[in-house]
Amino acid sequence: MDGLSSNLRRRPLQVAVAGLLFEVGFDNAEKMAHETLIEMTQSIICQVGLSARSYCELSGRTEPVIGDVIIALVNMGLPLDSIETHAKRSGRTVLPAPVPSTQPKQLSILQAGVKQSHPSHIPIHLPQFPDPHAYIRTPTHKQPVTEYEAIREKSASQKRDTERALTRFVAKTSDTHSLFLTEDTIFPLVACKPHMPPYLKALLPSDQVFEFEDEFSIPSCPTRGGPGPSRKARSDAEGEDDENLEELKENTEEGKGGETDSIDNPYLRPVKQPRKKKPKT
Amino acid sequence: MNSSNMNIGDGNHHALDASPISTNNELGLSGAGDGRTAGQPLSDFLQQLEDYIPTIPDAVTAFHLQSAGFETSDPRIIRLVSLAAQKFVSDVANDALQHCKTRGASQISKTSKGKDRRYTLTMEDLTPALAEYGITVKKPHYFV
Repeated sequence: MDGLSSNLRRRPLQVAVAGLLFEVGFDNAEKMAHETLIEMTQSIICQVGLSARSYCELSGRTEPVIGDVIIALVNMGLPLDSIETHAKRSGRTVLPAPVPSTQPKQLSILQAGVKQSHPSHIPIHLPQFPDPHAYIRTPTHKQPVTEYEAIREKSASQKRDTERALTRFVAKTSDTHSLFLTEDTIFPLVACKPHMPPYLKALLPSDQVFEFEDEFSIPSCPTRGGPGPSRKARSDAEGEDDENLEELKENTEEGKGGETDSIDNPYLRPVKQPRKKKPKT
Repeated sequence: MNSSNMNIGDGNHHALDASPISTNNELGLSGAGDGRTAGQPLSDFLQQLEDYIPTIPDAVTAFHLQSAGFETSDPRIIRLVSLAAQKFVSDVANDALQHCKTRGASQISKTSKGKDRRYTLTMEDLTPALAEYGITVKKPHYFV
C-alpha cells in the first residue's frame, strides 16, 4: 500500500478508514478525501474522549462510565440507536494485526571470559564492558635490534646481497662474456665495453659523473645562447668542477623552467658565460 | 491540529456547526423521554461487545482517547467509541456514494460495464455529504 504515512500511529487509522470506505462500496478514494476522513475520525475519537472525561469528572468520578460516553455522544449529535445496527452489519472488515517488522535481537552471543565490572563512578544501568579479549594489545612493530654485532653483520650481508643482485641483473640484461668455450650461464660475467680510444678516460678525469645530463638534450631556450652545451664540454675540459656543478644545475633548471624568465629570480636567469679566452692547446 | 476542540468556529478544516447539535439534542431528549432508556439498549449492547472487534483497532482508539484524558480499564467502552466513530464515517461515506451514483447515472455509461462500478471517493462528493452534517470542508486546489 503506497501512501502510508510515516507516522506509525496514523497508519492503522488510515487502513481502518480505507476498510470502511471499501465496505461502503468505494473502490478508490482521492487522497485528499481519504485524509479528510482520517482527520475526522481522529477528531471524533478525541472529542468523545474529552467530553466523556469532562462529564465523568463533573459527576465526581475519575473513571468514565458508559453513561458518560452516551451523554458525550448525544452532545456531539451522534445518533445512538444506529450504532447497534451498524455493529451488526454484514461484511465487516477486521484488520489483521500488524506484523512486527524488526527481528528480535539474537541474544546467543558467545561470552568468552568474565567481563570487567563497572567502576564506582559508572551507574549500573549503563551497558557492560566488553569481553576481556577486546583489550588485547598487539604491537605493530618490533623493537629494533641495537646490538652492534648484529647490526654490523646485517649491513654487511645486505651490502653483499645488493652487489650480487645488481651484478646479476646487469649480466642478464646486457652482454655477457664467457671465459669458456661454451656458454656460461651459472656464473655470468658482465662484458666489458671498451671506449675508443681506451686511454681517453684516464686522461680526462672528472670528479663526478653526469652521464644523464650529457645525454639529456636540453631544448635551446630563446634567451640563452646556443653555445651552452659546448661551453659545458669546454668547462669540463678545464676541470673546473665546482663551476660545472653550478652551471649544469642552472642549465637543467633553465631547461625545464625557461618560460619563467619573466620572474626575476637570480637562479633562473640565463647563464652568462664569462668571457674566457680559448685555451691554446 | 486534530485533538484540539472541535467547537464551533474552529477553522476551515472541519467544524461541527451548532445546528445539527441542537436538532440531535432534541432527538436525544425525546429519546430520553423514554426516560433513562435511551442509554439502556446501548448498555445492553455493551455486554455483546466483548467478542466484537470493530474495524478501528482497540489500541488506536485507546491511544487517542488517552491523549484526550479518557482512561479506562474496560475495553468495551473503547469499542463503543470506535464504533460510534466508524458509524459516523460510514454514514458520511454512504452519502458520498449516493452523490457519486447520482452523478454517474446522469452521465453516459456505455463504455463502462454496468453502472460505473468503480466508484471513486472524490472531494466533489465528499464536500456536500459533509455539508449535510454541518461540516464545511474547504480545501485549496493548490498550495502556494
